[in-house]
Amino acid sequence: MTITPDSIVYWQGGDFALNATIVFTWLVMALLTLGSWLVTRGLAEDPELSRWQNLLEVLVVGIRDQIAQVSHQQPGPYLPFVGTLFLFIAMANLLNVIPGYMAPTGSLSTTTALAICVFVAVPVFGVASKGAGAYLQHYIKPTPLMLPFNVIGEISRTVALAVRLYGNIMSGTVIVAILLSLTPYFFPVVMQLLGLLTGMIQAYIFAILAMVYIASATTVHEHGEPDEHQHNRPSEP
Amino acid sequence: MEINWITVSAQVVNFLILVWLLKHFLYQPVIRAMDRRDQKIRNRMDEADGREQEALNAKQSYQQKLASFEKQREELLEETRQEARQTRSQMIDQAREETARVRSHWMREVSEEKTAFIDGLRHQSLEVVETVIRKALQDLADERLEERIAHTFIRKLHELDEETREALGRSSEPATIATSFELDPGQRSTLTRAIHELVGADLAVNYTRAPELICGIELTCESQRISWNLSDYLEELTASIEKAFEPLETTEPGV
Repeated sequence: MTITPDSIVYWQGGDFALNATIVFTWLVMALLTLGSWLVTRGLAEDPELSRWQNLLEVLVVGIRDQIAQVSHQQPGPYLPFVGTLFLFIAMANLLNVIPGYMAPTGSLSTTTALAICVFVAVPVFGVASKGAGAYLQHYIKPTPLMLPFNVIGEISRTVALAVRLYGNIMSGTVIVAILLSLTPYFFPVVMQLLGLLTGMIQAYIFAILAMVYIASATTVHEHGEPDEHQHNRPSEP
Repeated sequence: MEINWITVSAQVVNFLILVWLLKHFLYQPVIRAMDRRDQKIRNRMDEADGREQEALNAKQSYQQKLASFEKQREELLEETRQEARQTRSQMIDQAREETARVRSHWMREVSEEKTAFIDGLRHQSLEVVETVIRKALQDLADERLEERIAHTFIRKLHELDEETREALGRSSEPATIATSFELDPGQRSTLTRAIHELVGADLAVNYTRAPELICGIELTCESQRISWNLSDYLEELTASIEKAFEPLETTEPGV
C-alpha cells in the first residue's frame, strides 16, 4: 500500500525523480490555468455574465472578502498568494474523487513546500509593508528575552501548517484504502465524501492561517499592540 | 512520512509558477472586468441620474408653463365674464331707461289726452249748462236773464260784510263792473245806485264787457272782487269732474 505519491516514480534522471506528486501538481496547475484562461479570455464587462465568469467572480470576490475580513486591510497585494494557496489545495483535494488520482497535498513534500512558501512570505510581506527594521523589532517584543520563543513559534507554526494538511489528506486516503479492503461497498463512498469535506476545510484553514500570519506581520506594529489576529484565529483541528 | 527535498523544491517552484499564472489568467482579468463593469454601471447610473434630473427639470418647467397657462386662461375667462356682466348691466340699464322713457311718454300722452278730454268736457258742459239755464230762465220768467243776474248781483252786494264795504268806500280808484252781456242804461243806473247806496256816492263806476265770464257780472276795485257768474259755478263743476277723474289716475301703475 502506497501512502505517499512521492514513492511513485515515473521517470528518474539523476537525483531528480519525476514522481506522482509533481505530475499531479502539474495536472492541477494545468486545470486551474486552463480553466481560468478559457473563461477570462472572453470576459464580459456588461451586466450580463456567462455562468463560468460568474463562478470565477464569486470565487475571487469571496477570497477577497475573506482576506479583507481577516487582515482589515486592502486585499489587493495578498490576493494572488493567499488565493492561489486556497485554490490549489482545494482543487488538489477535490480531484481525490477521481480513481487513480493521488492528491499532491497528501505528500509531506508538497505541504512542506507550501508551508515554506508561507514561512518566507510572512517576512517578505512584513518588510514590504513596514521596512526591515520595524519588522525585525517585533521579534524582541515585549522584551528581548522573548526572541527565542518568537523564533521557535515562527518555525513551529510553519511545521504545524505543513503537517496538519498532510495528516488530514493522507489520513483520508489511508482510511479509504483500509476500508476498501474491509468493506468494499458503500462505506468507502461515505468516507470519500467526508474526505471531500475535510479537503475543502483544510484548504480554507491553510489559506486563512497563512493570511493571519501575514496580517500579524504587517499590522502588529502599526497599532503598537500585540497582534490580535493570532488570538482570534480559527481553532485548528 | 519522509520528505523528498528535491520534490519540495520542485513544488515550491510549481507553486510560485501557479501563483504567477493565476495572477495573470484569473485574478487580474476578473478584477479588471469587475472594476470596469462597476465603472460602467456607475456611469450608467450617473447618466440615468442626469436624465432623471433633466426629466424632472423638464417636468417642472412644463408644470410651470401649464400653471401659468391655466392662470392666464382663468384671467381671460374672468375678464370676459366681467365684460359680459358689464354689458349685461348696461343693456339692462338701457332697457330700463328706454322703458321709463316710453312709459313717461305714454303717461304724458295719457295725461294730455285727459286734460284735453276734461277741457273739452268742461267746455261742452258749460255750453250745455248755459244753454239749459238760459232756456230755463227764459221759459220761467218774463224778465230777461241779464236782469235776473243784475238782481242777484245786487242782492249779493247787500249781503257783503262790513269790512269789504268799508274797503270799497275808501277806494280812490273807480270800481269796474264787467259783464258778459251788454247792460242797458236803466240797468246800469240801477247798479250804480245800488253801489252808491251801499258804499257811498264817491265811488266812480265804469262798465266793461267780459265774455270770459260766460254769463255773469263782476265788480273789481283795487284788491276787492265781487261777482256772480256761471263761470264760478262751472269752476266748481269742473273741480268736481276732475275729482271724479282722480281715481282713474291712481289706478295707473307707477314707474
